[in-house]
Amino acid sequence: MNADRLRECFSHALGIPRERVTDDLAYNTLEEWDSVGHMALVAELEGEFDVMFDTDDIIGMSTVAKAREILSRLGVAFDAA
Amino acid sequence: MLLDGRIALVTGASRGIGAAIARGFAAEGATVLLTARGEGVDELARELDVPPRRAGAMRGDISDPAFARELIAWVRKEHGRLDVLVNNAGVLRRGLIGMMSADHMRELLDVNVLAVMLLTQYATRIMDSQRFPSVVNLTSIAGTQGSEGLTAYAASKAAVVGYTLASAKELAPKGIRVNAIAPGLIDTEMMRWVTDDWQERRLPAIRMGRVGTPEDVAGVAVFLASRLSRYVTGQVIGVDGGMTA
Repeated sequence: MNADRLRECFSHALGIPRERVTDDLAYNTLEEWDSVGHMALVAELEGEFDVMFDTDDIIGMSTVAKAREILSRLGVAFDAA
Repeated sequence: MLLDGRIALVTGASRGIGAAIARGFAAEGATVLLTARGEGVDELARELDVPPRRAGAMRGDISDPAFARELIAWVRKEHGRLDVLVNNAGVLRRGLIGMMSADHMRELLDVNVLAVMLLTQYATRIMDSQRFPSVVNLTSIAGTQGSEGLTAYAASKAAVVGYTLASAKELAPKGIRVNAIAPGLIDTEMMRWVTDDWQERRLPAIRMGRVGTPEDVAGVAVFLASRLSRYVTGQVIGVDGGMTA
């Protein structure tokens, strides 16, 4: 459930199809996920999951998997892969 | 009213210019959220919490990154967004160049500069570009003109000017305006930290012939927070009775 919400956030914030949102999708490897896209993504995730990242989290959110790890640390539950 | 429906956060709001800005915002219909280290901020929030207008306060040290994050998370939880951030909190330490300790210099930079940058980072994430959001930073005539005996303070306030100009450029495409107010000699408790002699030497430079009041500064803050200034960004506005005219 939360994995789907996470994928939808990436898709919506970056304007890319959901199929492209894989665990190893990484920051700056596609045109849409540049620094501007990253801040849009942060806003999307914070709103969707009702969390507030600290700056180190934002800087460290380099892949989809990393985003899931950070959200888990903030109390968002994800099913085991 | 000029600020009807606006959600505003004011730092250093327990007294002086911060308290005057909070009162000015409330008088114009804003919901005011206050923060400061001292207890006075709770009392002011109670004074301004007159339905239907809301007011609230959270005490803490805004130069602590964890508190800055907690503060903005609280604003978002309570109100869902922020329309206006006033970075007013500041400290003043007087001392000649050779007489200023590293601890005092660090304290000035932490509160006057680091806290402004931290709060801007967090606050702008919960601003909605459709609501002509505004960041108002309090610098000082010392930061734009320099002032002997206040070198570290002047340096910290000059940094606020640089941050204001740079962040205005970066945030303009997101519809967020960033401006600064540079007060001159204002009658506050903080100014009483500097000596009477220091103040007296500057009085002749005030062309309007009087020391400013916190309310003189608050009026400009209301303008910058309101829709009236919706096309104004990257400006440093002196409120100094003509000292820099």
